[in-house]
Amino acid sequence: MEKVELLRRRAKELLKNGEVVMVIGFGPGTRPDISQPLFATTPEQADQLTVDSTCSQNLATYLLKVKDRGRVAVVARGCESRSIVVLLQENQLQRPNLYILGVGCQGVIENGSKSVACTVCRYPNPVIGDEMVGEPVPVSEPDPAVTRADQEFDRLSPDERWQVLSEDITRCIRCYACRQVCPNCYCPVCFVDASMPQLLGKTPNLSDNMVFHLIRALHMAGRCVECGACQRACPMGIDLMRFNRRVAKTVRERFNAIAGTDLNHPPALTQFAPDDPQEFIR
Amino acid sequence: MKPRHLNPEELNQLLDHLAQETCVYAPVKDRTGARWERIKSSADVWLQEVNTAEPAKGFIFPRCEIMLKFDPDGNPVEPEPPAELLLFGIRPCDARAIEILKKFFIGEDRTDPYVRARAEKVTLIGVACNRTAPTCFCLGLGGSPHATTGLDLLLVELGTGYLAQPVTEKGEKLVTTFPPAAERDLETARHLRHQAEAEITTRIDTRTLKEKLPAAYDRPVWQQLALNCINCGVCTFLCPTCHCFDITDETVRGKTVRYRVWDSCQFTLYSRHASGHNPRLDPAARYRNRVMDKFYYTVEQIGEISCVGCGRCIHYCPAGIDIRQTVEQISTETEKTKL
Repeated sequence: MEKVELLRRRAKELLKNGEVVMVIGFGPGTRPDISQPLFATTPEQADQLTVDSTCSQNLATYLLKVKDRGRVAVVARGCESRSIVVLLQENQLQRPNLYILGVGCQGVIENGSKSVACTVCRYPNPVIGDEMVGEPVPVSEPDPAVTRADQEFDRLSPDERWQVLSEDITRCIRCYACRQVCPNCYCPVCFVDASMPQLLGKTPNLSDNMVFHLIRALHMAGRCVECGACQRACPMGIDLMRFNRRVAKTVRERFNAIAGTDLNHPPALTQFAPDDPQEFIR
Repeated sequence: MKPRHLNPEELNQLLDHLAQETCVYAPVKDRTGARWERIKSSADVWLQEVNTAEPAKGFIFPRCEIMLKFDPDGNPVEPEPPAELLLFGIRPCDARAIEILKKFFIGEDRTDPYVRARAEKVTLIGVACNRTAPTCFCLGLGGSPHATTGLDLLLVELGTGYLAQPVTEKGEKLVTTFPPAAERDLETARHLRHQAEAEITTRIDTRTLKEKLPAAYDRPVWQQLALNCINCGVCTFLCPTCHCFDITDETVRGKTVRYRVWDSCQFTLYSRHASGHNPRLDPAARYRNRVMDKFYYTVEQIGEISCVGCGRCIHYCPAGIDIRQTVEQISTETEKTKL
């Protein structure tokens, strides 16, 4: 049986048996390049479930929206499962209220080609789950072009790096699609919305834009699962994953941690380990 | 006003000349399609995309505008008056959106001096859409891929050259030196218009929305529809007629500037009262507000629907939400329960 058929069958069973009140997955959209999130509460609705390269978002975002409704099943690819791990570690979700329908992922599209985040993905399969629907997807080698571009960026002088980032960040219109689409960016009051006192200017100028993006990247250190949903959501085409890859690399090198891959390993920045490398403290 | 014919070289020369004389903005090639940029010559123009990611509204209602400045002694400093501006390659939907914006900002009883000053300085040269996108739905909302509303001059690409249809005197002056269009050219333009209009297959049925939308206000269907929505500002910021703003003062090294910046009804902060109460804390209420605003509240305010059908909110929505679908579902919902 095809993966999508299996998925629909399992979703329908879960709903019919009353094991869950809702199944969150993807359903058909009106644009050919993007599917819409689907919130199935009846077996009939679950018949609409799809899973393919047009499923652009990270569905873990929606778990936070429906967490008070009871036990919810979610179709989870590698990225969703890692986001769920982070949310569980941060007590934003309760494991008994979740049913994780794992599926392997072959990447999603961004502007007609494979999303940059997916070209360097090491976790196409869920890291936790209640069951696996279909076969796991083999892990492919990361696209060397992306790694090379990152290395080239790292070799630039601080001034040159600032220049490159500025050219990118000046495009930002502060629509906050990157923040809203992110499952792990869930503060009840984001620092950019704090008004008493106001922490960040409202004008979309380079300096305020830069503060927003740098602080967001740092807040995501050890928490960002590099799903790339923010970059795909950005209407201005900003290379947001450059920040996220860089921060993830630092967390990996300094703390030997990869966000959302181990439920029993606390997120890098929430614990102090005496054997952490500390050569940057002088 | 007499339609004229320009061959491609003539149009390029005209644009090159205008770009030297005045400040000309046009769509240029960009990462996500096209964006508005000041051009130095006709070579910079990129009209291969159906539309720019950002609409043209920013030229009369900027994303960030200085309203007032104070020097360190507290004396007000008048902001620079806006300069003459020519927009080349604006699409008919965006030109119509500017007309709608003017209705909001420029009225007999209330006028926004900032928007008016900019609007008076703008010349709009439109380029008709011979090709449309699946997200386009201007037909049925009072628009057309070849509409002239709001423009000074409309150009239609004929394949061999351009038909220039002046709409205002300002537009006419730009093309008086060119030969009148032949009947053949007008025929080609009519044909292209029919072709483009035939491409647009999705329409919003607006006939009974004025009754249906207020009737649907409290329906639970909004909760279902809004579940997809992540409440970012993409639809509102890229909408050519959304015009909510915030006013903010910033003081840097003794100099104070009062800015006006775009705001979005999708943000929680937008509707938060000084008391801390927020009447639209529910994300579904925020989602509903935008739909109600486009198709109902503005009908009450200015007498017309303020959606021009450009399709940006559909094309750029990170969650794949389609406002056409929403309006349709709301319509069906009210019909269903009326029986």
